[in-house]
Amino acid sequence: MPSRQDVDGILAERREYDGELANASSSTSQDRAFKTLLVILAILVLFPLVTLSGYNFNYVLHLLLYAFMYIAMASSWNILGGFAGYISIGHNVFFAIGGYFSGMLLAKFGISTLLTAPLAGLLALAVGFAVGFITLRVRGPSFIISSIALLMVTRIVFDNWDFIGGSNGITLPQMELPVRFVKVPFYYGMLTLAVITLVVSYFIRHSKFGLGLRALSQDEIKAECAGINTRLYKIMAFAISGFFVGAAGAMWGEYLTYIRPNIFLVILVAANMVLMCILGGKGTVAGPTVGAILLIAFNEFFVSQFGASQINILGTGVVMLLALMFYPNGVVGTLEKKGKLPRILNWG
Amino acid sequence: MPSLLEARGVVAGYGRGPDILTGVNLTVASGQVQCIIGPNGAGKSTLLKVISGLLPARQGHITFNGKSIENLRPDQVLRHGICLVPQEGALFPDMSVRENLRMGGYIIDDKTELHKRIDEVLEMFPILKERSSQRAKSLSGGEQRMLALSRTLVVRPEIVMLDEPSLGLAPRIVRQMFEIIHLLRDRGLTIIVVEQNAIMGLKNANWGCVLDLGKNLFDGPARDILDDPRIRELYLGKKSQVA
Amino acid sequence: MEILQVVVIGLVLGGVYALMASGLTLVFGVMKIINLAHPIFIIIGAYIAYWLFRLYGLDPILSMPIAMIGLFCLGIAVYKLILEREAGSARYAEMTVLLTFAVAMTFDGLLGFMFTSSQRITSPSYATDAILLGNLFLPKGQFYAGIISVSLIIVLWAFLRYSRLGYAIRATTQNRDAAQLVGVNVALVSTLTFGIGIALAGASGALISFVFSFFPSRHWEWIAMLMSLIVLGGMGKLLGAVVGAFLLAVVAALVSTYIGATWSTLTFFLALFLILLVRPQGLFGEKME
Repeated sequence: MPSRQDVDGILAERREYDGELANASSSTSQDRAFKTLLVILAILVLFPLVTLSGYNFNYVLHLLLYAFMYIAMASSWNILGGFAGYISIGHNVFFAIGGYFSGMLLAKFGISTLLTAPLAGLLALAVGFAVGFITLRVRGPSFIISSIALLMVTRIVFDNWDFIGGSNGITLPQMELPVRFVKVPFYYGMLTLAVITLVVSYFIRHSKFGLGLRALSQDEIKAECAGINTRLYKIMAFAISGFFVGAAGAMWGEYLTYIRPNIFLVILVAANMVLMCILGGKGTVAGPTVGAILLIAFNEFFVSQFGASQINILGTGVVMLLALMFYPNGVVGTLEKKGKLPRILNWG
Repeated sequence: MPSLLEARGVVAGYGRGPDILTGVNLTVASGQVQCIIGPNGAGKSTLLKVISGLLPARQGHITFNGKSIENLRPDQVLRHGICLVPQEGALFPDMSVRENLRMGGYIIDDKTELHKRIDEVLEMFPILKERSSQRAKSLSGGEQRMLALSRTLVVRPEIVMLDEPSLGLAPRIVRQMFEIIHLLRDRGLTIIVVEQNAIMGLKNANWGCVLDLGKNLFDGPARDILDDPRIRELYLGKKSQVA
Repeated sequence: MEILQVVVIGLVLGGVYALMASGLTLVFGVMKIINLAHPIFIIIGAYIAYWLFRLYGLDPILSMPIAMIGLFCLGIAVYKLILEREAGSARYAEMTVLLTFAVAMTFDGLLGFMFTSSQRITSPSYATDAILLGNLFLPKGQFYAGIISVSLIIVLWAFLRYSRLGYAIRATTQNRDAAQLVGVNVALVSTLTFGIGIALAGASGALISFVFSFFPSRHWEWIAMLMSLIVLGGMGKLLGAVVGAFLLAVVAALVSTYIGATWSTLTFFLALFLILLVRPQGLFGEKME
């Protein structure tokens, strides 16, 4: 019979071993996940070099930068819609503000939107503060209504404002670059934006601010009683979530070479942002990215098979319905709940 | 006396939270006023909600007149003959007194009978008759409570369950409440009263139970419970003098 | 004279908007659902009237009952299949908004696919006629639409006030738990109310089919408009929605005449922001908390 001391000794050793094992596994797999992400990022950064080869990679460049843009926008929307739980279905107002602001600067003064994008973002931020001040006085239902009303108002105003081209919009000058290189600056612009948005989103999620947002998304009254300045937090989330969308809009305008209300201010853009977050997992940091990639891939496949048309709206609606009904937590959320989330997606 | 309502081993809680009721056994005999007392959070209101169908039972059985009623919808439970008057929010604030009484008799199909009963109730309670077209939310606390209680006279169930009828009311009004309760009993209704004011509750009842730790710990004639030194010490306050 | 003319037209349109908003308010009152899909159902009603007129010459006013029945059934189907499962869930408000948003998009795409996005309008003979009332010159189509809308609202009001189901609906709106405790089957009432709400959408759709031109994506404009006037009136209050509708319609008509037609829709949205700023619970609503 092993003595008491033997058993204790063995148990102690065992515990130590298990502890080391636990630490080792978490740190090595965390490290590994992080390193994998860095590798992916490096690949993406270096990818445009393929254009030097002489072949035309414009389609892939377009797809990637489109994805980066939506990764940024969906992640941005997520700060308000996912973290704080306030659903904004007119969020592309910021898209338009950014697009037009930088677009007009480009048209009048020739300054590339890639330079003015941060300013456009700041303008969107300021508008977010101002609007949020009014519309976030109330809780959920009225806010949602006000977000769509804001979209409608902006659409009407922009359609009738001759200075910015009214409903015909304005054509913007193209960048002076050979055809196979012309997408590259925007590629980097959107990639940078996406990375910054994700980093900011990550930090918000893991900050006291993020904790407060989560609290108020669960129960606003209780959060207030706990001393959280819910009004300020909501407005900040709204404004910040506008910043990146505005910057994205700025670059998108120059990329398209025209700015028009029926591109920037259609509900489909906002619907996409919402759907990507739902598909990927609202309220998580990685969710919007996953959702964006999924939806864009799905869209591309669909368009290549059936051609673009009204089907787009129908398809978006149906996918959203199915996702909401059967996978409301999205890919990341569902995996998280089941404990099967791969480390590479576990950003919080 | 035949038991009208019986609960066996009822376990219940809210949402995904812990069990509040951990196995309640309760017997309610016909024709009397039964008072349930117990400390805060013991599950008294929870028990009433489970019986009435507002909250599902996680385990256990409830039978009424021999029929199984656990996990029925509240409107089904009412049609069987058990009515709950909750602590607060029993009334329809934007409806008039008369309309509230009409809603009380919602399950009565015979329109003439319904209006006859409404008129009778208004006769019994002159204050309500006076305010019959006033909105319920404009009544005073005591009047609202009176309206909530009197509504049960319209539907005339076999059992009326009252959740803290005296809560927040001035003593004079509380006496009125208990007068109404006696009136209901004299009309043949069986009454279950959950009371925070244990002494008042037991004094006005025939039978008493003490709910604590999620279970029915003591059960007996109200007078006996009042006089029981153990109970007096635990729940009625050591120094309380019971006349 | 001119201003009276504008005001009267505004009032007539107000009746139409009020009917459009009534179903939305009813559903919100009973189930606290913000049905973003409500206007797409209005448009479905309009298409029904349009095609019945074009194919069979059926007067849109006569298609109204058909649209109502069809949409009642559609509403119940949508509720049972998609929305009812959320009842009692933790993220109810958020989920129902997103779900109705998705439903709206789905039907938008479907209608666009079936009927393309061309603007439609039904043109029965009275659509281009006008009535002369003293000095006032009222387009017949709008006038009929307005009168019938108001009549329907009065019928709705009477239904809510005097019928047994109406009592049940009002009770559920005011205090869901208490309603259950007096014997109302709130699940059934919710389902029926949703059906009725959508039926009302269908009715207003048939009526507006000869008043406004419509196309599938127009519903976004209307949802914002209807929501604005509901917030103005106080969410869930039928009287508030009706008053809001008349008020905003008159103001919009004045704006349209004296400032410019394109700005008149703006009126609704500006009113929304104003009321959120000044009195968020709306004219007839109660302070939340």
